[in-house]
Amino acid sequence: MTTLKYVLRDMFRLLIHHWVLGLLTLITAGVMLWILGITTLFSLNLENLLLRLESELTVQAYLVRDNTLNIEEIAEKIQKLEYVYTMKIYSPSDSLAKLQEKMGSHSKALDMLGENPIPYNFEIHVHKAEEVEKLVEELRAMPEVDDIVYAGMVVRRISALSRISSRVALIMFILSVIITALVVYNTIHISLYSRREEIGIMYLVGATKSYIASPFVLEGTLLAFFGALIAVGGIIGTYFPGIILLQTNLPVLNSSLITDKNTIFRFCALLAGFGATLGWVCSYLVVSRFINSITRPE
Amino acid sequence: MNINFSGVSKIFEPDIAALIDININIEQGEFVYVIGQTGSGKSTLLRLITRELLPSRGSISVGDFNLRKMRKSDVPYYRRDVGLVAQDFKLIPSLTVYENIAFVMETMSVPKKLVEERAKEVINQVGLWRKRFMKPNQLSGGEQQRTAIARALANSPSLFIADEPTGNLDFHTAADVMKILFSINAAGVTVVMSTHNQNIVNSTRKRVIELDNGKLIRDEMGGLY
Repeated sequence: MTTLKYVLRDMFRLLIHHWVLGLLTLITAGVMLWILGITTLFSLNLENLLLRLESELTVQAYLVRDNTLNIEEIAEKIQKLEYVYTMKIYSPSDSLAKLQEKMGSHSKALDMLGENPIPYNFEIHVHKAEEVEKLVEELRAMPEVDDIVYAGMVVRRISALSRISSRVALIMFILSVIITALVVYNTIHISLYSRREEIGIMYLVGATKSYIASPFVLEGTLLAFFGALIAVGGIIGTYFPGIILLQTNLPVLNSSLITDKNTIFRFCALLAGFGATLGWVCSYLVVSRFINSITRPE
Repeated sequence: MNINFSGVSKIFEPDIAALIDININIEQGEFVYVIGQTGSGKSTLLRLITRELLPSRGSISVGDFNLRKMRKSDVPYYRRDVGLVAQDFKLIPSLTVYENIAFVMETMSVPKKLVEERAKEVINQVGLWRKRFMKPNQLSGGEQQRTAIARALANSPSLFIADEPTGNLDFHTAADVMKILFSINAAGVTVVMSTHNQNIVNSTRKRVIELDNGKLIRDEMGGLY
């Protein structure tokens, strides 16, 4: 308890002594962690949207018109294909009824066709958009399949968007972490450098390395933690208004957006914890390195 | 705390021999002067005792500690039993006299009340109570040296190392500092002090260890400069 008091007092001395540098670190860490948080949330929302679109993606496989076909056998064969997630069989009459329902008042036009032209067909769902093309290839190889209908371009775009969004999020994450880590590392290094003589004297008169290091490590941890709190404030202040704006202007996105406040608050708590951990790791590394270098006997 | 140097040499890179094959034994409670010209190895010898340096050859033991084999984590605990006073005082400029002395005890997690009591005791011992709130740059050389002595005394060490403690001081101030060192020694603390001051050595007739170019050339009880 006594040690903690002394360590806290020394840490506040450090913060006061380098308050301009501390403030700059706080702001930089806050901005970088805000970017990290907002990018992650944007990426999660996009991921949600893509998942929804992917779940709505279907491949419609039409069989050849042949009365001798064993539909159950073909269904079993398709079900065993690698990328099939769910599958539904439509008989010609089911398909026609579905089409009539879709066409509504214009469905009478179908009467002009005379015989039902729609063969047995399968509506197949996959897990991921990128699996659609692979499934289509497998279906094309089946002699029983006459035609395949799917949104090829949409699939390719969703897959590409998904890949790009993951990469951008990863790059932003790495950049934000590196910049925050460098800023904290640098601040603590300057703090240490300005007190190098004092550190040498402290070690000479019997202070342990952990006692000397604690105020500096605590300073770095606190700066990054408060930087993360600034980021959390920024996220709460910008995310919810942004969501309201999107919901008003693009109602189609409604079901894909993360709007649950508890989820966002949990995310913010995670970000604050991440900031503090990052600050602790950086300061610990720089402090151990610095103290070891100036206390090593020749 | 007794000190034993056995075949100790210290070579600085690339090949500067600061000490060569030193064998000395200092018993608990002795007062020893280390003399010699500038560059003779006096400071190196003292810095080996405080373990700021490690010997290139030979072994050094101080009390129960073998300084060469000592674990890094034990160094602070060893140093708490060694009071150190240097010619350049080694005081922390941003702290007051009181704080400079208190922080040595704080590093050992001594409770605040005990820190206050002990700090008051040692500051009084060196006669600086009235100046306890002053910072080192507001003190004279003698007062800074007395602050350094008070700091070294704070942990009640068994060994006192003084590297030319009177080097920057006038005759009267140096005499005051020596009085304090003798009183510390009278309490049973081993004192090893390097000096260039012939008057002090000749007037007190303690054990004298003389170095020349890193070699021990004299080890004499009750010696002169």
